[in-house]
Amino acid sequence: MQAVEIKNLSFVYSKGTPNEKLALDNIDLSIEEGSFVALIGATGSGKSTLIQHLNGLIKPQDKKHSSVIVGGKNAADKKTLKTLRFEVGMVFQYPEYQLFADTVEKDVAFGPKNMKLPADEVSRRVKRALETVGLDYNEFAERSPFDLSGGEKRRVAIAGVIAMEPKILVLDEPVAGLDPAGRAELLALIKKLQKEVSPTVILVSHNMDDVAALADRVVALKDGRIVADGAPRDVFSHRAFIMHIGLDLPTAARLVDKLEKKGITLSKRIITMAELKDALLSIFKKRAKKRGNNMGYAQINAVTDGNKNADENVEECDGASPVDEKAKGDESSPVSDEKAEGDGAKDENDSGSAGGGEDV
Amino acid sequence: MPFIEIKGVSYVYPLREGVSLKAVKNLTLSIEAGEFVALTGMNGSGKSTLAKLLNGLFKPTEGEILIDGISTADEERIFDIRRRVGMVFQNPDNQTVATLIEDDVAFGPENLGLPRDEIIKRVDFALQAVGMSEYRKRDAAKLSGGQKQRVAIAGVLAMRPDVLILDEATSMLDPAGREEVMGVVRKLVDQGITVINITHNMEEAALAKRVVVLRKGRLAIDGTPSQVFSSSLLESCGLTLPPAAALAKELKDSGIDIGTVTTEESFAEGICKLLK
Repeated sequence: MQAVEIKNLSFVYSKGTPNEKLALDNIDLSIEEGSFVALIGATGSGKSTLIQHLNGLIKPQDKKHSSVIVGGKNAADKKTLKTLRFEVGMVFQYPEYQLFADTVEKDVAFGPKNMKLPADEVSRRVKRALETVGLDYNEFAERSPFDLSGGEKRRVAIAGVIAMEPKILVLDEPVAGLDPAGRAELLALIKKLQKEVSPTVILVSHNMDDVAALADRVVALKDGRIVADGAPRDVFSHRAFIMHIGLDLPTAARLVDKLEKKGITLSKRIITMAELKDALLSIFKKRAKKRGNNMGYAQINAVTDGNKNADENVEECDGASPVDEKAKGDESSPVSDEKAEGDGAKDENDSGSAGGGEDV
Repeated sequence: MPFIEIKGVSYVYPLREGVSLKAVKNLTLSIEAGEFVALTGMNGSGKSTLAKLLNGLFKPTEGEILIDGISTADEERIFDIRRRVGMVFQNPDNQTVATLIEDDVAFGPENLGLPRDEIIKRVDFALQAVGMSEYRKRDAAKLSGGQKQRVAIAGVLAMRPDVLILDEATSMLDPAGREEVMGVVRKLVDQGITVINITHNMEEAALAKRVVVLRKGRLAIDGTPSQVFSSSLLESCGLTLPPAAALAKELKDSGIDIGTVTTEESFAEGICKLLK
């Protein structure tokens, strides 16, 4: 079942003024229930405008041609709008700025109370929400949200959203401004929320490492249009295209490119650091074996965990190759790419292909 | 004598009746003119408090801070201190005072009561230094986050400061904006301005020549990026290595030692050297 179905959606800001700006340009997008979608794109690409349509904060301008159906409800329909807002939980950037009540309990209870739930259900949900985000109810319920640390405040704000037990959770840059420990905790929490509370998650993020680690689908916007849509591994493997639309790569993919410039070729389908580690370990393993064989030259098939192989090549390292970054894309190593592609690499832990050989 | 001297400084926030929070504890640290220092630590470690102590927004509860020999507690010299130590804050939307960009940059020098010619000269210089000259007649509200932060830096530069403090100035920017701002910062460092960059982005910290890590208001680690990244204390400070450095460490645990990595480039080089 589709959690979100958007058809022909366009949106113009300041229509009819000199500042008129087309923020969304004929967007078609369906999101399957249970999926984790990352929405990426530069500032001003239309991400925020798009997500605000999901719970009717912005209504389609052209009701004749556009439609936004969320959880089976038309987001433009006033009668179901209130229910829709309970079903689509929105965590905006810096959500802690929206805390308002004098105790944590009251703040988190605000949403469920508005749902007109019975008092005992409200309190059950507040407890569950606080516990889910990792805050002890007894310790935090009576405290003022304004006396908490930055990370705690953000978790209270998120608890306020999930207390409504939304079917769809939309998060706009949820880890912005947090320190490394806070980031790691919150990212783990988001994965947990998908399992326990909101099966469909839409994450807006500029951090491609987070996207690679969490999402099973990535949708890229540029100037209000969808320019890429697919599994992160597929989308990020098209280097020339990624550069063309001005997107970043996950660190692991960037390192693969840097290594390639130095003559070490790895799969372009590597997107997480764990995969890169496996690929490198496998090269070093081969190397050690080869040294043992005392071979001067070899083209070696690498086998990583027995499920994959590819011909990879390690050229001379110090020959800092003068390859222009812009000039190269997928075409520079079609062999390793195609080989890896065949495996589909659906599994998160599934390492990309890797291997080593050398010219000595 | 070092340009910035922090001598046994503590700072206590009075929260409410009978409750206070000691954010900086007996901190001693000196920074030479022209240094590029990253100041890092987890939320609540005292970084921003220290920044506000450095330009006299806060006065030390104990101890003393000298900027070029002048105490920040010296009320008569406070404007001198603030001119010399300029700050750029986190939120790009909260730091503009004028509509036109050139007016915004001129705000500081105007308040110094400088002659018109001098103000124009400074605005020209400052906008050029951050690469925003062609935007001078534009509306400040219409800029991207990275551009707004560059204008904020220009506003500080127009005061001809000795020290530029960035208090998480890139944390609300997208990666392109972050790169823009750090590009400007690197240029300013080359020109000899002392820069203190407060950040918990470890990749950004690695760009500095020296990294100072605070933990619960105290000095925890102080050294080059590679010294700090190889410190066993890092984790207890609530910090994590940037991804490439973290992977280098994992590889080392698996018996492949490519040395301490601070940047992605040094990671690639390290791997390369071993495979050669």
